[in-house]
Amino acid sequence: MSSPGELKLSGWEVGETRKLPGMDVKKIGKDLYEIFIGPQHPGSGHMRIIVRLDGDVMVEVDPDLGYVHRTMEKLAEGRSFIKVIPLVERMAILDACNITLPYVEAVEKLMDIEPPERAKYLRVLLCEINRIASHLYGMGIFGVFLGHSTMYMWPFGDREVFVELAERLTGARLTHSYPVPGGVRRDVPEGFTDDLRKAVRYMRKRLEEYRKIFLDNPVIRARLEGVGVIPRNLAIELGIVGPNLRASGVEYDVRMVEPYEAYGELDFEVPVFEEGDALARAWVRVEEIKQSLRILEQVADKLDKMPREGFMHDKFWAKAPKLYKDVYSREGRVKLMPLFANLKVPAGKAFARAEAGRGEIVYYVESEGKFTPYRVRVVSPSFRNAIVFKYIAPGHRLMDLPAIYGSIDYFPPEADR
Amino acid sequence: MPPRPSRRRVPPYGFLAAVKGNLGAIAVGLKYFLDPNRFTLHYPREYIRLKPGYRGFIVLNKAKCIMCESCARICPAAAMKMVRFQAPDPRRPGKMKLYKYPVINYQRCIFCGYCVDVCPTEALRHVPAHDVVYYNLEEMDLNLEQFQVEPKSPAEVEGGIPVRYVFDPERGLVKVPEKGQAGGG
Repeated sequence: MSSPGELKLSGWEVGETRKLPGMDVKKIGKDLYEIFIGPQHPGSGHMRIIVRLDGDVMVEVDPDLGYVHRTMEKLAEGRSFIKVIPLVERMAILDACNITLPYVEAVEKLMDIEPPERAKYLRVLLCEINRIASHLYGMGIFGVFLGHSTMYMWPFGDREVFVELAERLTGARLTHSYPVPGGVRRDVPEGFTDDLRKAVRYMRKRLEEYRKIFLDNPVIRARLEGVGVIPRNLAIELGIVGPNLRASGVEYDVRMVEPYEAYGELDFEVPVFEEGDALARAWVRVEEIKQSLRILEQVADKLDKMPREGFMHDKFWAKAPKLYKDVYSREGRVKLMPLFANLKVPAGKAFARAEAGRGEIVYYVESEGKFTPYRVRVVSPSFRNAIVFKYIAPGHRLMDLPAIYGSIDYFPPEADR
Repeated sequence: MPPRPSRRRVPPYGFLAAVKGNLGAIAVGLKYFLDPNRFTLHYPREYIRLKPGYRGFIVLNKAKCIMCESCARICPAAAMKMVRFQAPDPRRPGKMKLYKYPVINYQRCIFCGYCVDVCPTEALRHVPAHDVVYYNLEEMDLNLEQFQVEPKSPAEVEGGIPVRYVFDPERGLVKVPEKGQAGGG
């Protein structure tokens, strides 16, 4: 081993490992090198990519997952139903509502209750705020991977607009714990929809500027066009989900194929791109943000027209004492009935899915009629997308790996659960 | 109208588009070089005046507590525990009564706000402070007396300027100094 300062390529024996900045490199044959990138946070979380290089060309790429595994599925078996929500939302930063929503829906299916109309719109509202924030986060990471530090600072700054919106709605910046079985925990505060419309107008303007400085920038086009192409049939075969799938020309979005909450009543498009390369994946995200902004405007109009009632299923609200109703009309805060602490869910199996920022998330919840679930199975979008590294990176030069990694928007804490 | 797919292609790119792209990127960069859009919070010289609904630190109003234990039972992180003690019963002179009140351990608390929302008498409430610091881990495990004291933001105690962020359609978020009386929140 030698330090990065005194690296000499001459006299490098086969089988010897040397340290390069940010990675360990092992010579496994003449002009064949094995590189360990990570697991100390190569980009957006702890994972390791094992790359075998022939000269500068990647011949084998192995994503090595599991460094942030937290046994969430097992932990969920020992907790009462409501306590699983703050647990699973720790999977994805900025995407808390999308990640927890299918779990809540599965529990609602078991209890055979459906949230009222206003609660559905409130859930959609936070889901779309989360989706925009999640895409902006992914684009920021993508930018810094390509060495485009402007594109790192801008989306992270604009993300703050949507984090601030989420904070006003739920009271917490990231870990909202917003949907609960039967409804939601807060109603929109005073003046929220006006702020929302301002944020939407601002973001539309910003997306045009993103296009000028990033997507139409010749340097970025040169680095992304034709890099990391996922052909349509390979995307289907590997079972990847979310924006990566839609960038390969597959029309699949859970919001479209199986509308949940209020998505069936909203007017929006699901952008699908044909190319399947890193550039198309960047475009899909920008177009999706535009559609999410459209949804937010529609939801804001709808919430303004609706009477301020119907945020919790009657099962949990009909017998609520006067104090609860006073708190709601004063602060818009939905008090939880004490029975939430020990929610008894009828025995059965339920399955629910939703479209999170990074793709389809699936929950399977099995209850034995006790206070805790028997089994909670989570299939997260990043877990399904991780396999792409193995199939699309080989053949590219090592310097294309950051572009491919960034474009996939892979998020290890979400994949490892 | 229900959601529907829309097929698109990435805009084509030629020599002219590349020239235009270069100039466009430089123009946008120059615009923000001359007029940067900054909203950095200079903490602790400034601090954010949190909104009323913010899920900050939690305070107990002992007079309202009915000892129902709902908060301790719903806490997902087992941060809230009940303390039990015998004390003279005010209603029955000479008799002792078992009292139990919640205490919180901020080493564990995840600020989900379930305890505040489940409390049937509003004995627990959030205070608009989120940056309280402790000197060591033991201090974070509050006892019943400490749990009733409203924690203050150190920036506020040391005379920082309260600011708030307002939405603006041109600049996103704008930082404005908070006017009006202190301690509102």
